[in-house]
Amino acid sequence: MVPEGLQYTAEHEWIASAGDEDTVRVGITDFAQEQLGDVVFVQLPTVGDTVSSGDSIAEVESTKSVSEIYAPLAGEITAVNSDLGDTPEQVNSDPYGSGWMFELRLSDAGERSELLDAEAYQAVVDGA
Amino acid sequence: MPYGPGPVTAQRQDLRRSPLHARHEALGATFAPFGGWEMPVQYSGTVAEHTATREAVGLFDVSHLGKVRITGPGAAGFVDRCLTNDLGRIVPGKAQYTLCCAEDGGVVDDLILYLVGDDEVFAVPNAANSAGVGRQLAAVAPEGITVTDEHDAHVVLAVQGPSSRTVLAETGVLPDTGDVDLDYMAFVDSTWEDREIRVCRTGYTGEHGYELIAPAEVAGTLWDALAAVVAEQGGLPAGLGARDTLRTEAGLPLHGQDLGPEITPVQARVGFAVGWKKEEFWGREALLAERERGPRRRAWGLKASGRGVPRAHMTVKLGETPVGETTSGTFSPTLRTGIALALLDTAAGLSEGDLVSVDIRGRALECEVVAPPFVASHVR
Repeated sequence: MVPEGLQYTAEHEWIASAGDEDTVRVGITDFAQEQLGDVVFVQLPTVGDTVSSGDSIAEVESTKSVSEIYAPLAGEITAVNSDLGDTPEQVNSDPYGSGWMFELRLSDAGERSELLDAEAYQAVVDGA
Repeated sequence: MPYGPGPVTAQRQDLRRSPLHARHEALGATFAPFGGWEMPVQYSGTVAEHTATREAVGLFDVSHLGKVRITGPGAAGFVDRCLTNDLGRIVPGKAQYTLCCAEDGGVVDDLILYLVGDDEVFAVPNAANSAGVGRQLAAVAPEGITVTDEHDAHVVLAVQGPSSRTVLAETGVLPDTGDVDLDYMAFVDSTWEDREIRVCRTGYTGEHGYELIAPAEVAGTLWDALAAVVAEQGGLPAGLGARDTLRTEAGLPLHGQDLGPEITPVQARVGFAVGWKKEEFWGREALLAERERGPRRRAWGLKASGRGVPRAHMTVKLGETPVGETTSGTFSPTLRTGIALALLDTAAGLSEGDLVSVDIRGRALECEVVAPPFVASHVR
């Protein structure tokens, strides 16, 4: 089941509010980690990077393939989950929690209205 | 994100399936197309399945592998005049790794031959190449020698890992003979439900292990019996994902990646599978000439010293100069680092211990040149 209260993209990323209005935390969904298989390496963006919506800013390597992670919205990277360096498997075991990837201070918080809610994302998963 | 295996779609319906497909589904396997077959990629997870195989035992369904029987007076001699390795090096009851080469020395397929006797050889080619190898042999087979494609008649189950012998003994597939084990690359015929099955000390993991060739009709009960003891021994059913990480750690080539029509045995360092003194085999003149003048590139292992996972077809560089290309690459669950097999230009003069980099989408991953295997072999 897709958790309520988060927002999503069709690229299987989740977006949660982090602290203040303008800052979000981003990770990949349970469906995504299951499709990827065992995650063995995560290449994260650098704190301070300015990103545009749709930019490829991170990579997740599993035993079988590599997948790109896109910036869901425009903004500046304010934090990355450096724990994933030693324990990338947290992306598999806790994708919505300790497996988070980065935080983003949004250039325009209003753009969040374009993201999918849980119901809309569930439809994406069901159609995959 | 681009995804790997997904739900079965219309375009997959022409793929062949193992007789054990329903059992794999019941175990929660994810599937992927491989060589025209839809086979399990993983059950519980590639890393767990890999580790179970190294530390206890893994059970693999590799029924996609080809099965070709060559029979008739002088069948072994006929095969020996076609394929590279020297069947004169082994006796009946032994298996041999060999190559089917084109006249230019490129590799049409690599396969295992089971020498039953002068008049019978059983070949196990790769799934995608099985029909081609069979056709090529059949096309030149002399009067009286029959080449039969038995691809769907048998399953192939691999039991691999330090507890593999216990699994075979406890299921009764191979009688417990005290300290006496089958020799590496030896095989015996046993029975399961009154049907003949072939038990071989072969594998593709670098572990002590066996491959069982059994009639499709008894595949279900054989799998169930093996799976039960595998579980008792702390092992797991394992998919093609773990098979690939295991074979890469063991430095074993995969046809279509590390060997192929454009990659000769001399380049790939599988010259041990060529009977150089034989008077006749496909590709002989080209291979002898290449061996004489020295190959333009040779296979090496690369072990990442930084974080990252090399994959096939990435450029290998010495400084800024391209010196070769990876042919396989993955994450080694045993070493917990990226590893690759690569063809490096002979002219670059690289050898063990040298540092190179692999270009991972524009990022340089530093790697040490090593001689595979990456993980010590336990096959014997």
